[in-house]
Amino acid sequence: MELLEPDILLQLLIGGLLAGALYALLACGLNLIFGVMRVINLTHAELMLIGAFGSYVLYTAFGIHPLISLFLIVPVMFVAGYYFQLVLVERVVERPMLDSLLATYGVSIILVNIGLLIFTADFKSVPVLQGSFAIDDIPISEPRAVAGLISVALTVGVYLFLERTRLGKAVRAVSEHAQVASICGIDVRRIRMLTFGLASAMAAAAGVMLSVIYSFWPGSGIDFIQKCFAIIIIGGMGNFVGALYGGILLGVVESFVGAFVSTQWGEAMAYVLLVAVLLIRPTGLKGVARA
Amino acid sequence: MPSVASRLRSSSAWAGAALVAASALAPLVFNEYYQSFLLQVFIAIALAQAWNLISGMTGYVSFGHSAFFGLGAYGGALFLTWGFPWWLAVFHGAVVAAILSLPLGVLTLRLRGPYFAIAMLGLNEIGRIVATLWVDLTNGGSGITLSPSLLPSLGMQYFTSLALALGATLLVAWIHGNRFGLELRAIREDEEAAEMVGVNTTLNKVIAFVLSALIPGAMGAVYVMYTSFINPGSAFAHTRNVEMIVMVLFGGSGTVWGPIVGAAIIMILREMLWAEFPEVHLALLGVLLLVVVLYLPGGIVSLARRDRRRRPDVAKAEETPP
Repeated sequence: MELLEPDILLQLLIGGLLAGALYALLACGLNLIFGVMRVINLTHAELMLIGAFGSYVLYTAFGIHPLISLFLIVPVMFVAGYYFQLVLVERVVERPMLDSLLATYGVSIILVNIGLLIFTADFKSVPVLQGSFAIDDIPISEPRAVAGLISVALTVGVYLFLERTRLGKAVRAVSEHAQVASICGIDVRRIRMLTFGLASAMAAAAGVMLSVIYSFWPGSGIDFIQKCFAIIIIGGMGNFVGALYGGILLGVVESFVGAFVSTQWGEAMAYVLLVAVLLIRPTGLKGVARA
Repeated sequence: MPSVASRLRSSSAWAGAALVAASALAPLVFNEYYQSFLLQVFIAIALAQAWNLISGMTGYVSFGHSAFFGLGAYGGALFLTWGFPWWLAVFHGAVVAAILSLPLGVLTLRLRGPYFAIAMLGLNEIGRIVATLWVDLTNGGSGITLSPSLLPSLGMQYFTSLALALGATLLVAWIHGNRFGLELRAIREDEEAAEMVGVNTTLNKVIAFVLSALIPGAMGAVYVMYTSFINPGSAFAHTRNVEMIVMVLFGGSGTVWGPIVGAAIIMILREMLWAEFPEVHLALLGVLLLVVVLYLPGGIVSLARRDRRRRPDVAKAEETPP
């Protein structure tokens, strides 16, 4: 079978890794929030779409290239996320998980419908970076390569921040045990705000990357949030590196199943993997959540 | 001397009986427009009670309950086209939904924490995709149109949906008052403690979940008779999901009356807004959800009680001496 040619396999692998890197960028932020404050952020996909629509508006209205708008949108979304935590999430963070789920769900509904009022239900896209290039005769789509590489760079950047800096260490400390962290003099509230800001910035960056690859509409969130949840459960809830692995795993599996079986089954792989993980190892590859 | 609580209970039983009697007599007075509006309110009440049964009682939020409604709608529509009588189609809708909910519940509810909520989040969307792609069975995106000769009269649909809404409410009321309901609420308040005193938490959660899937399944089949047409978009409507959740929380989660009050208010709101501004309607539901979660955790029903910051059923449990 011609699909089994090494070149094709390599092409599928590269495509999967690049798609997986984008998933990982999104899912790592979601998992960071869960790890630090045990909140499932159901607005995460909408934060991503704010990035995507931001990129769309800046491109269509001012002709700004998405790679430049990245530098505008990401800081703005960091600040937005920081204050979103202060105004809303902080009020439900100590309450049962039910409350934070419902509160973020409410915000997600509001954002989607405001998006529909402003942008209608038509699909939008940002047509830059079209075309492809070849390495050793293996064709690689240019927008996917750029989006994938930037996603990897950002995810690794946040990882290094968490591992190497004092502030990152504080974030990890709160994630491990908020009370003890607080006793050690860490301002837990500020760390939570910082975390939400960081995760929002990552989601928005993923959105800008998404805008150059896919077409999207205000209701696109559900597909992505679903995949993100599958990823963080596969990788282990609350674990940053786990989400990175999970994202890349899902990207690669989707790419291969999509090519060998059918695109629809490729899209369904998030669910298949999710069920498998729930059956075999509910804590995921590297989880902190108790099953 | 009868306690305040028991007097409250008997007065609410009377109020309930009066409401049912009024609803049963309504078709004599009202024209078809009001009858179909009331029919939709009954559907909403039954759905809200179903959501209340799993999420209100146990605290495990279901973000995909409308999937069972869609499943029941297709189950009912197919049975009708295959020539079965309508009441069997309603039964079939319930059975199909229950059959799906069982493995789903066993898989996700044996785990504590957010797994259930996450697994349910995409269920409605998956239902929509399957219904679209499985063309042989569902006729895909073009949907199934039912010929009027197969369907019961509007009056019969009216009374069926009334009966289902009443049945769902009585089921919730009965569970609310018995040991099973107490165990479910114990799971919500502190699952570990409940388990330690011998509550079989997984079994309880799964039973509550399957019961709560039966009701929307049956209602989906009634809905399909009412509209005489079904397609993936109308069977698996995202809006229905949001409404179900907001109705219960707004009315009063975990109570018997809350879902009824919430469903009635949201349906009136919807009747006024939906036709012209669906996005505004949904955004308002989101705002309402946020306001209720932040400022009124007990819902509207709790306003009628002294201690409004508490969940009404918890406050009631504390009133009665052990």
